[in-house]
Amino acid sequence: MNYETVIGIEIHCELKTKTKMFSGAPVSFGAVANSCVNEIDLGHPGTMPCVNKDAVRLAIMAATALHCEIDPLVKFDRKNYYYSDLPKGFQITQQFHPIGSGGYVEIETDAGKKQIRLNRIHMEEDTAKQFHNEEGTLIDFNRAGTPLVEIVSEADMRSGKEAAAYVEKLRSILNYLGVSDVKMEEGSMRCDVNISLREAGSTTFGVKTEIKNLNSIANVSKAVDYEVKRQKEILEQGGTIIQETRRFDEAQKATVSMRKKEGNVDYKYFPEPNIPPIRLATDWIADIQAHLPELPDQRKARYQNEYGLNDYDAGVLVNNRELAEFYDEVCAHTSEYKLAANWTIVELTAALNKLNAKPENNPCSPLHLAEMLQMIKEGTISSKQAKIVFEEIMQGKDPKQVVAEKGMKQMSDGDELLKLVNEVLDNNPKSIEDFKNGKDRAVGFLVGQVMKASKGTANPAMTNQLIKQELAKR
Amino acid sequence: MDITNMMKQDITQRVYDAIEKAKQLQPELNAVVTFVDVEEQLKQLGGIPSDAPLYGIPVVLKDNVNTKGVLTTASSRILSNYIPVYDAAICEKLKAAGAIIIAKASMDELGMGGTNLSAYTGWVHNPYDTERISGGSSGGSAVLCAADVSPLTIGTDTGDSIRKPAAYNGVIGVKPTYGRISRYGIIPYASSLDHVGYFTTTIQDAAKALRVLAGRDDRDMTSSYEPVPDYEALLDQDIKGKRIAIIDNVQEAIQDKAIVESFNDLTQKLEQRGAQIEHVRLNDDLLSVLLPTYFIIANAEATANHSNLDGIRYGVREDGDSVEEVMINSRTKGFSANIRKRFVIGSYSLFVENQDKLFRKAQKVRRLIVNEVKAVLDQYDIILTTAAPTIAPHPQDSVDEALSDTYLIAENHMIMGNFTGYPCMTMPCGFIEGMPIGIHMMAKPFAEQMLFNIGAAIEAETGLKGITAEVKA
Repeated sequence: MNYETVIGIEIHCELKTKTKMFSGAPVSFGAVANSCVNEIDLGHPGTMPCVNKDAVRLAIMAATALHCEIDPLVKFDRKNYYYSDLPKGFQITQQFHPIGSGGYVEIETDAGKKQIRLNRIHMEEDTAKQFHNEEGTLIDFNRAGTPLVEIVSEADMRSGKEAAAYVEKLRSILNYLGVSDVKMEEGSMRCDVNISLREAGSTTFGVKTEIKNLNSIANVSKAVDYEVKRQKEILEQGGTIIQETRRFDEAQKATVSMRKKEGNVDYKYFPEPNIPPIRLATDWIADIQAHLPELPDQRKARYQNEYGLNDYDAGVLVNNRELAEFYDEVCAHTSEYKLAANWTIVELTAALNKLNAKPENNPCSPLHLAEMLQMIKEGTISSKQAKIVFEEIMQGKDPKQVVAEKGMKQMSDGDELLKLVNEVLDNNPKSIEDFKNGKDRAVGFLVGQVMKASKGTANPAMTNQLIKQELAKR
Repeated sequence: MDITNMMKQDITQRVYDAIEKAKQLQPELNAVVTFVDVEEQLKQLGGIPSDAPLYGIPVVLKDNVNTKGVLTTASSRILSNYIPVYDAAICEKLKAAGAIIIAKASMDELGMGGTNLSAYTGWVHNPYDTERISGGSSGGSAVLCAADVSPLTIGTDTGDSIRKPAAYNGVIGVKPTYGRISRYGIIPYASSLDHVGYFTTTIQDAAKALRVLAGRDDRDMTSSYEPVPDYEALLDQDIKGKRIAIIDNVQEAIQDKAIVESFNDLTQKLEQRGAQIEHVRLNDDLLSVLLPTYFIIANAEATANHSNLDGIRYGVREDGDSVEEVMINSRTKGFSANIRKRFVIGSYSLFVENQDKLFRKAQKVRRLIVNEVKAVLDQYDIILTTAAPTIAPHPQDSVDEALSDTYLIAENHMIMGNFTGYPCMTMPCGFIEGMPIGIHMMAKPFAEQMLFNIGAAIEAETGLKGITAEVKA
């Protein structure tokens, strides 16, 4: 039987605010346990929530970038359940009136472009972090109350590749917006994938499983592929899928069962009485929407349309926001856009790898790289020399100074070069003869000899031209 | 003794006298849960201007008002060891006004009751007859004001929890407009119905106290930006032309003839003073569902509000083999059976399959009731009713929950003040068999001044200004 895979994804994303969703305690990753908490985060009796306006602003940015419809009347609800990482015994969320509805994310895979529809984006607060050991359970409340947006897709994805592309695209968009750190490995972006199979052509859904807390995009793809294979095997043997929550075990490269879902948990949602509905000013929303940073798709189009980059190069740059930002700075100082792209993608990336450095810790000044590219363009230095200059730039040096210190000026003076060419011709009568006999290869050999004699400083294009000119005279 | 007269006495003397009196009366009244050390507070008075409105005045807090470093139990076993890490917003206001907090007063467990019989530390006795109840849930505060321990005691009111005990103990009980006083730091019962209020013995003190306690607090998003007037300076007992509505079908539900007579007597006097008294009726169906509507909304909110009491981070912890078991054991032993019953009812009304017919329906009915009351107050300055249909009962007579009109309407009509959030006040209007009885007023939102002004006229008429009880040991 032919099966169709149906995938929907829920993503929780921590918002990059100074303080928590409903309290004035600071938000900070990696701080000493329980040092970023106040009475509100600990759910002490008598505490009350106060909505973080900046979190609302970031959520509006995200909702706008994801093409959602914004609800200007912000309301919150209580989701009730008992768990030791949930200090109040309820989570404040937006069950009934999410800040954003609808919307979509456009992804691209080998199969082409596709729109993945979104169901909603809503604001809520994070829970505390638990550590279980032999002596018991330790709870760090620093994370409790951190602002989150939850982005819920429709069940529009059909393969692990699409799922991974969706998460990757969403991460890129949120990263470009600057609303979140989107670090899956640190948990600032968390991904739950719902998967079911159905007979090809069917319009009803099969029984789904949920894979929780995938910590990388590679694992999204791997987990989906494994889960599809697992479900398929069960169905083909006439079995039934059990609705359950699973996790991806990296060591086993397999999804393993965490807990069965015994019917649906009733969270007894009801409107949060301590937060009256908040009417957002339309001009405030409009102002946020008018000042969104450039999004990845817009930037890629700009690179292609304005800088003439090809699809691949533009894509490579855009996929790494810090690298793209560096590239933009280089382009502010030179119009050698393609050359700049090549050097950024190839040489800079290689150099950073060698230094084991991330693009955000790039020691190379974009102005220096731009100046070096200008020297190549103007023939002041050769490409070969440029590689040496680049190594020095990566140490923070000024390219003009490097060129001066190393006496690297390219020999572009016609008279000087002509003298050198004739010397080489005089010393290589055999090559002249070869050339006269129709062996064009001889030109290359002669150019090489000139380069050697000039210690690599001869301008290759000029040398080539002069050799041909002088050969004709002989 | 009211605030003005107390101001004439030596500060240290009056504060320690108040504590001494409360301690002497404790065996008879059982109104105090914790006595608060005042030495440090008296020292800090040095940093406060001596003309501050409550400068050196001993005040009492209901034990659901968080006090940093001072035991705050909400009269529940589960919080019987809880020492807050922060002060409630009103503590800051009171301290800035020079008030000295001398005691934390007993209440019904977590505010969930109307008798004060459910306090973890035992029931609170009425100062006029210690065989009778104080009423609740702010029983301890009402009693300590009525027994002349403190001229200002703080209470909270979710479903008449200030106003009923005020009536039973012959003091003034003020429940201002929802959002008038910050709730930040008050251990909640039901957030959409909870109000902070207080008890005094004179209208002047009531007007003075509201100015101290009211005002916007950014920590409570439901608190109002409405400016706070100088109620005391604006007091005016001329009530000529004031329009007063009497709700006949509330009055008709009252059985006690002496109480009815007393009420009618007072309305006649107000009429003689130039007020326009008119009779209106509210929808009978809505009146008869006040209590069930209240019960559903209050318990639903309460079950969520008290989910934080799990023994994990504070409060009394009962051990168990897992975190879940610790929570279950702590909650099972930490709450009385009656509280657990209310949590079950609250949860039940929130279940997905029940929400439409219970919780959401109750919300809709609440809106209808609010509209009904609003329509009356669009026409009148205040609604005047009897506060309680009886004098304070004996404990064994106090839990009659028979579904009679007396119970459903006469006993519980004051919860309309919680549904609407409109300002309300009860005050004594006479005595029957040596026990005080009270009347109840409700005004338009933020029209507390109207309550005080009409209250001043009533005070002048009854001659009960500053009345307190002489407790017989």
